[in-house]
Amino acid sequence: MTNWFRRVWYLVNRRRHERELVQEMHEHRGLMHDPATFGETHRLLEQSRDAWGWNWLDDAAQDLRLGVRGLLRAPAFAITAVLILTFGIGLNLTLYQMANVGLLRPPDVRSPETLARFKRKSPGNSTSTVPYPFAQLVARENTVLSAVLLENHGAVAWGDELTPITASFVSPNWFSELGGTAAQGRLFGEGIDSVSSAPVAVVTHQFWRTRLGSDPNIVGSTVAVNRVPVTVIGITAREFVGTDNDQPSAYLVLDQREQVFPDSPFLRSWEVENTGMYGRLKDGVTPEAARESLRALLAALREQRPDDIVEDEWLDPGMGSVNFMDQRERRGIVGALSLLGLLTTLVLVVAAANVGNLVLSRATGRSRELGVRVALGAKRSRIVRQLVIETLPLALFGAIGGTMLASWASNLIGALGGLAENIDLSPDWRTVGVSLALSVVALMVIGAVPAWKVARQELMAAIKDGGQQVSISLDKARLRRFMMAAQVCGSCLILVLAAMMTRTLQRVLSDDLGFKYEQAAVLDPGLGRHGFDDAGAIAYWNAVKARVGQQPETAALALALAPPLARRIRGYSYDDAPWLEVISNSIEPAFFEVMEIPLVLGRTFQAGDDPKTTVIISRALAMAMFGSVDVLGQGFPRSKPEATIVGVAGDAHAIKVEAVDTSELYRPLAAEEYVQAVLIARARGDAATLAPVLREAAALDSRLLPGVGMLRDHFERRLTGTRIASGIALSTGLLTLMIACLGIFGVVSYGATLRVKEFGIHLALGAESKSIVRLVVRNVVWPVAIGMALGVAAAGPIGVALSSGPIQVEAADPAAYAGALVLFVVAALSAALLPAMRVLRSDPIQSLRHS
Amino acid sequence: MPKVAGLPPGTLVMLILRVLRQEPMHGYAIAQKIRHLSSDQLSVEEGSLYPALQKLLANGWVKADWATSDTGRKVRSYRITPKGLKQLESEQDDYQRMADAITAILEST
Repeated sequence: MTNWFRRVWYLVNRRRHERELVQEMHEHRGLMHDPATFGETHRLLEQSRDAWGWNWLDDAAQDLRLGVRGLLRAPAFAITAVLILTFGIGLNLTLYQMANVGLLRPPDVRSPETLARFKRKSPGNSTSTVPYPFAQLVARENTVLSAVLLENHGAVAWGDELTPITASFVSPNWFSELGGTAAQGRLFGEGIDSVSSAPVAVVTHQFWRTRLGSDPNIVGSTVAVNRVPVTVIGITAREFVGTDNDQPSAYLVLDQREQVFPDSPFLRSWEVENTGMYGRLKDGVTPEAARESLRALLAALREQRPDDIVEDEWLDPGMGSVNFMDQRERRGIVGALSLLGLLTTLVLVVAAANVGNLVLSRATGRSRELGVRVALGAKRSRIVRQLVIETLPLALFGAIGGTMLASWASNLIGALGGLAENIDLSPDWRTVGVSLALSVVALMVIGAVPAWKVARQELMAAIKDGGQQVSISLDKARLRRFMMAAQVCGSCLILVLAAMMTRTLQRVLSDDLGFKYEQAAVLDPGLGRHGFDDAGAIAYWNAVKARVGQQPETAALALALAPPLARRIRGYSYDDAPWLEVISNSIEPAFFEVMEIPLVLGRTFQAGDDPKTTVIISRALAMAMFGSVDVLGQGFPRSKPEATIVGVAGDAHAIKVEAVDTSELYRPLAAEEYVQAVLIARARGDAATLAPVLREAAALDSRLLPGVGMLRDHFERRLTGTRIASGIALSTGLLTLMIACLGIFGVVSYGATLRVKEFGIHLALGAESKSIVRLVVRNVVWPVAIGMALGVAAAGPIGVALSSGPIQVEAADPAAYAGALVLFVVAALSAALLPAMRVLRSDPIQSLRHS
Repeated sequence: MPKVAGLPPGTLVMLILRVLRQEPMHGYAIAQKIRHLSSDQLSVEEGSLYPALQKLLANGWVKADWATSDTGRKVRSYRITPKGLKQLESEQDDYQRMADAITAILEST
């Protein structure tokens, strides 16, 4: 231990030590009769330095200095290499950062590892929200939770203009349990929990800044929420995000919800499942223990309330430390992300291999210099170490550049994707760690491998012929061809995937959706929130439809359960057609006319049709289940007929726009579905003309605060994600293509320069230009061909794997493959032929004379 | 190890330690002592003492202090440490063993 200490002390005081030693030796010489026998000072100083064992550090520093100087002298190479690495590392970091922020990172709240979000599960069923009285009951009777937090969000009308905003109704302990603080005023706490106290609200910092104009007097003022006077008591701190990145504009107290939504059965109903339930585990309670305890509690409570609690029910906790995801969810997401991560790492490997090839080219050019070093006594390990250290600045700058690029790209994507401004996108220590790890990987590929390759050569022979022989043999080297194949494979793969994504986007954007949305608008009055019963809902809708139908701007209108382009309905699949996802909707007969969906066969619904036994199916479903469209009168589903098919409609991907394997199933709107229904109307002219019409008609009942939206806006919003993903994939694909072509160009060009003499001889002996070109290009043809084949082959399964995840691509899309391949071949050919042309034009015979 | 004409490698360190076992002394004195004790049989290039002394310092076998000699010069005097004493013993044993082995071979019939 003290040995180390001594050595470090020496290192720090090296200069002083050497000065003293020199003086000591001088004194010694002064005392000698024959000072000439003392020995040569410099040599003795070197040997003295050796004794302390810091030589390797000195050598490394020297190598680094040489390396940097070498890079400065070849700025084109240095800049290209750094840019390529920046791109490779930056891409990986961006993906990691976005995945971290969006999905993996625990929320910024107090002790996320003890906070759980509960899903209510029973055999075959799972919901992520529960009825309010259910949550209250569990909160009262349980023994494993120190606090229960509840949350419900929805739209409310803010202010006198009735501006619709998203509000979160939360339990009074919300902010104190999550560790939220107020920027101004105060937040919910003790004393605000009873129904009778006056309603209060807290606004979020972003809402206050952007929509309330940073009003300095907002705290304490009264605002109308759903026309009910509410006192604003505080503003959340800017950094407070809560449990979800999707933040509301304002918070209200859940217990006071009835004051803002009178007649809503929400707080008392056991049917309405709209409350998100979180719990803080008591000290020492594990999630599993909590789950089992709650399971027992529910079983006990079932005795008292057999109608409200199902058999074998339990509450499944998802912990905050894993962003409230349960096992299966997390596995799925991590799986999809790993796949994407693999692809981006591939880009990095491609980039690094490219730079490696460039470094190899430069190293072979220095084989003479290295040969001299070997001749002077340098060990091979020393040479390898030198070459590796020389690439260190490249990796370092690549890492720095990559981090900066990732930071900029994350912010850009956040802004484009509408991420709230207070979400922290700055790189944390994990990102830095990943960045360092990536640079090490890059360094390994770039530095160590070519260095080892060079060091193995007969460098002594290199001195004799000026390095030609060595360079030529390295040019043919298997390693270089392998790296080239890897580059080509990677970039081809990414290009094909990007082409697939673009094609999907194209298809989605083209008119062939099967229904017309540009002129349609949707009215959603949320009758369920205001305590309407079935009869009341039917009466309301009849009145509204009459009003809207009278207006000249209306071309057609119909009620439906699921508004088009919404995400509400989940799909089923039937055994008769297992790969097809069937999305069902309940509609009024005029739906097809409103959405301009053609009826291929049969009729639309009529007044007498029974919702339970009458269906209309889409063409795709008919083909998949029955093998033909001629299915009128047949039983549905095929193997267990419960309903009769009265019509076949054209395919209309009205719910999941980008999906490929979906089909539709329609039923007549049942009486009990009128409460949840929405009205879809098609305008004669522009859809915007319908908005005031719908709003005015909906205001028939003054309690309501209806939402009116245009279908084309919904459509645009749905597409943003795919657009961004496509854009990123395409730019990545093109950039990777450019890198690969740079690599091909570099290799061919370098090989050509080396063998200029050889070409001169060929030409002098009467060879044609064509054969010279063939000679130049020969070394890269095989690697490129193999790389392309592998890349294209890999694109298929990867495309299929991605389609099951968040990104939709059609894997068997020949146009995508063809397009990408053509682009690649053209680019690669140009990259390879350019140097060949240059060689010919520069007259190799001249070079023979000047050798 | 500094290569010295006539001296087996590694032994210079041992000799310096031995000399310093008696008393601390500075570089010139060490050279004198070695020459004196070996009756001029061992020719040590005097400068090569210094790399050896640095090695001794690096391993903690000697400690060096600056002092002023009687003639008013600044000299660095080296003193052996307990660790150094142990090292001397062990090196002496090794050397002895090697010498015995060689002698045994040379004197075998």
